[in-house]
Amino acid sequence: MNNLDSLPKKKILSLFMTCGFPTLNHSKKIFNEMLSHQPDIIEFGLPFSDPMADGPIIQEANKLALRSKLSTQQSLDLIKYLSKSKNNTSFVIMCYLNTVRKFGLNKFIKNIKNIVDGIIIVDLPFEEEDAIKKSLSKNDIHLIKLISPMTDKKRSQKLLKNSKGFIYYISATGITGSNKLDYKEINKNVKSIKKMSSVPVLVGFGIKSKKDVIDISKKTNADGVIIGSALIQKYFDIKMDFNKYLKSLKKFIQEVKI
Amino acid sequence: MKTYKQPSTVGRFGEFGGMYVSETLMPLLLDLDKSYKKIQKDKKFKKELNDLFKNYVGRPSSLHYAKNLSKYINGPKVYFKRDELNHTGAHKINNCLGQILLAKKMGKTRIIAETGAGQHGVATATVCALFGLPCYIYMGSKDIERQKPNVFRMKLLGATIIPVESGSKSLKDAMNEALRDWIKNVRDTFYIIGSTAGPHPYPKMVRDFQSVIGKEAREQILKVEKKLPDYLIACVGGGSNAMGLFYPFLNDNKVKIIGVEAAGRGAKTEETAATMTSGTPGILHGSYSYVLQDNDGQIKEAHSISAGLDYPGVGPEHSYLKDIKRVKYFGVTDNEALKAFQTCSKLEGIIPALEPSHALAYLIKAFKNKHKNKVVILNLCGRGDKDLFTAAKAIGFDADE
Ligand SMILES: Cc1ncc(COP(=O)(O)O)c(C=O)c1O
Repeated sequence: MNNLDSLPKKKILSLFMTCGFPTLNHSKKIFNEMLSHQPDIIEFGLPFSDPMADGPIIQEANKLALRSKLSTQQSLDLIKYLSKSKNNTSFVIMCYLNTVRKFGLNKFIKNIKNIVDGIIIVDLPFEEEDAIKKSLSKNDIHLIKLISPMTDKKRSQKLLKNSKGFIYYISATGITGSNKLDYKEINKNVKSIKKMSSVPVLVGFGIKSKKDVIDISKKTNADGVIIGSALIQKYFDIKMDFNKYLKSLKKFIQEVKI
Repeated sequence: MKTYKQPSTVGRFGEFGGMYVSETLMPLLLDLDKSYKKIQKDKKFKKELNDLFKNYVGRPSSLHYAKNLSKYINGPKVYFKRDELNHTGAHKINNCLGQILLAKKMGKTRIIAETGAGQHGVATATVCALFGLPCYIYMGSKDIERQKPNVFRMKLLGATIIPVESGSKSLKDAMNEALRDWIKNVRDTFYIIGSTAGPHPYPKMVRDFQSVIGKEAREQILKVEKKLPDYLIACVGGGSNAMGLFYPFLNDNKVKIIGVEAAGRGAKTEETAATMTSGTPGILHGSYSYVLQDNDGQIKEAHSISAGLDYPGVGPEHSYLKDIKRVKYFGVTDNEALKAFQTCSKLEGIIPALEPSHALAYLIKAFKNKHKNKVVILNLCGRGDKDLFTAAKAIGFDADE
């Protein structure tokens, strides 16, 4: 069974966190804290040396995770370990293609089968996805699609055909952690996506606070939000005191669960 | 061999190349590809570019018979394709003019670029000054330190330099930041990539704009030698000067072609930039090609004394040409390049950039007392002014005295 197929209808909450950040041991505690809130989705970022589509905060998280030479296998083992307390939460991996390629697609799938519900490969455009998508769908893992404000209608139609899980709408033309949210534009584009696809549309990039989450829910037609950089930012705000960080993380997640 | 026809319509050189970017960039690349296809058929565009080549850059660049060096090597007749005589001192300007004309046609109002040695940055800043467009150059802080003359040049030309502190603080990281800038400013910005790297259509487009080098060299050598050259030699960073020279000769099977990479402190050490000698296929900056990476696909830091070759990737067309064995690739160390840098200066009265010094080093090493009666064209793609401080330091000369 794929948890993504039974997401709630509205106010879906997806939390993103980089695996192995700031170290593997700390990372376990962070994910356990996240899991204890039973969010609808947890996105596991696999650290990459050149995260081209990520902003400075997630870049820094990647760097810290890689500083202790975290391997892909260790990240996948961490996800497997956490899946014991998964319950209804959907597990989604977010990564760059080189990580999957170098690990080997079949070996990768073998490691995440029956554990992970979906995968977002940031730099895999739909023009290049065929072989990977086939292997994933054979194993009931959904390949999640990104749509940006630059994706025109014709392209969206092609992209959204047979989409599964959810659709990741990139709210700002930007990289993860960008600032401004234009609710009018988001609403217009989400509406148009929803005409083409029946799977939930989540808005990500630049969502930082309870207010943002409420505004997305009130002012747009989106089915939920993805929060990433804002969760990681707290670690740097709190000057890297880990216990304080866990507490602030808890408080923040409670707030954004609306 | 069949007529060479690469890349495919989706930017594949064999299995290499492609467009591995996020959905925020994909529509832009497709748009760029479409616009590029359109201007290729545009006679006015061609004329405009050719006029600039002739009157602004000073093309055609000469083909110089390097008599003294040939005598020293005691082997083939060596010709230099002198793209170091171009305005701004390297081949990079050829590509920048092509791309900025395209940017203009597409109605873009802001230009960004990455730079390593600063040559591409200077060339971009130059064409931006010429066309009156604001120019933002991403440059690793390590490169800002070792290419100071070019930093000052770019500033004089009115460009804003954005230091990049992430990763190895050199070319790879500058390109990451430039791509991030593009993702953020998709609507008004044109990204002028400086080499045959990055996602499609860049590797093709940059090759096409640079292939003026090979076209001229072909005509010139046929005129003086009444035959095609036996060998072509060029240095390979991302691969643009090399592709520029090689491309018009790829169908001439008798012409042997050699690409020279920077092996830093040795191709077998961790401090190397010899991507095709020491790397494996992977994805970096939107393209599938050879890269320096570890077992988990994390990209390694490159090392070369030459900032322009200090890149852990290489253009996908070179990966393809390596695999089909049309071009052979070799590595040359920092020290070998430094030595050739001095040899060329003394013998020919031409101070080469450290990048083509790698090609020179390979030529001197591999052709010494061999291949007599053969003809070689070496792409002297840049002049050494920018490297004077780096070279002085490495050689142990106190330049401040
Ligand atoms: C003079 C010169 N040659 C070569 C290069 C390497 O680039 P490419 O391999 O694209 O020619 C550079 C890059 O900055 C350069 O300045």
